[in-house]
Amino acid sequence: MDIVRTPITLSDLQTMAESTFGELVKAVVDVERGIMAVDAELHSDEEAALLSDGSMQADLWGINLRPGLYPEEDWVEFDSLINLRPWQGNRSRGVEDEAVRRRILAIVDSLVVP
Amino acid sequence: MKEAAPRNASFQHASLASGRWRELDLLEQLANVGSEVERSLAWAAKNKPEVSWTALERALELIDLTLADPKHRIKPGRLKELARLREVLLDYFVGGNEFGSSEAAWRSYFGAFAMAVALRRAPAEMRAPAESPEERCEPGPGRS
Repeated sequence: MDIVRTPITLSDLQTMAESTFGELVKAVVDVERGIMAVDAELHSDEEAALLSDGSMQADLWGINLRPGLYPEEDWVEFDSLINLRPWQGNRSRGVEDEAVRRRILAIVDSLVVP
Repeated sequence: MKEAAPRNASFQHASLASGRWRELDLLEQLANVGSEVERSLAWAAKNKPEVSWTALERALELIDLTLADPKHRIKPGRLKELARLREVLLDYFVGGNEFGSSEAAWRSYFGAFAMAVALRRAPAEMRAPAESPEERCEPGPGRS
């Protein structure tokens, strides 16, 4: 597992995907700190790693990255059980707040370069 | 100092979220999480999904308050356990049960925390005495 603080390449992500799930890389993004954890089998392990690193749970959102679909919109998939936080108003595996989704996409764009 | 409750949070356990939860140790916290999970399981078994869901929401709140408790942050293994617990629990209730957990497994997992807390609270005379070789009732040489 890596905590990505500076940009990585799409090719790096492709390598991670091939070594785990084949087509996707699980990631957890901290929308306040602008970093993300990648390359673990569970979103919850990435969540725990970021919490240990000083993140707040309310700022963490689980996504899946499909480097093979880049740059289609679907290359970032908002789907993780860790996102289900009723006390925060998010009652699904997705990210219901559009503003948060936009922040996630902006962070992914800044951390993954073609 | 970090806030006891996250920003923009709307907790059902308001007083616990304001800081009282952190006065409990890990055993007590997980025993309380287990109470809500037990309720959620019980209502699911009665085919009352809405009531089961509200209990699950309360369980999630308590897990998240536990994840935010600074005393667990100094022990990364605890954070990993708690975060995995949360994901596997949701996988059981609302996901595809990818991890193959079961009602019995959840009762067993949380029951251990409830039992540990109950034993700690029990008066000394109620606790099982430490076994000495003389007190064991095993058949020994010469016994039938």
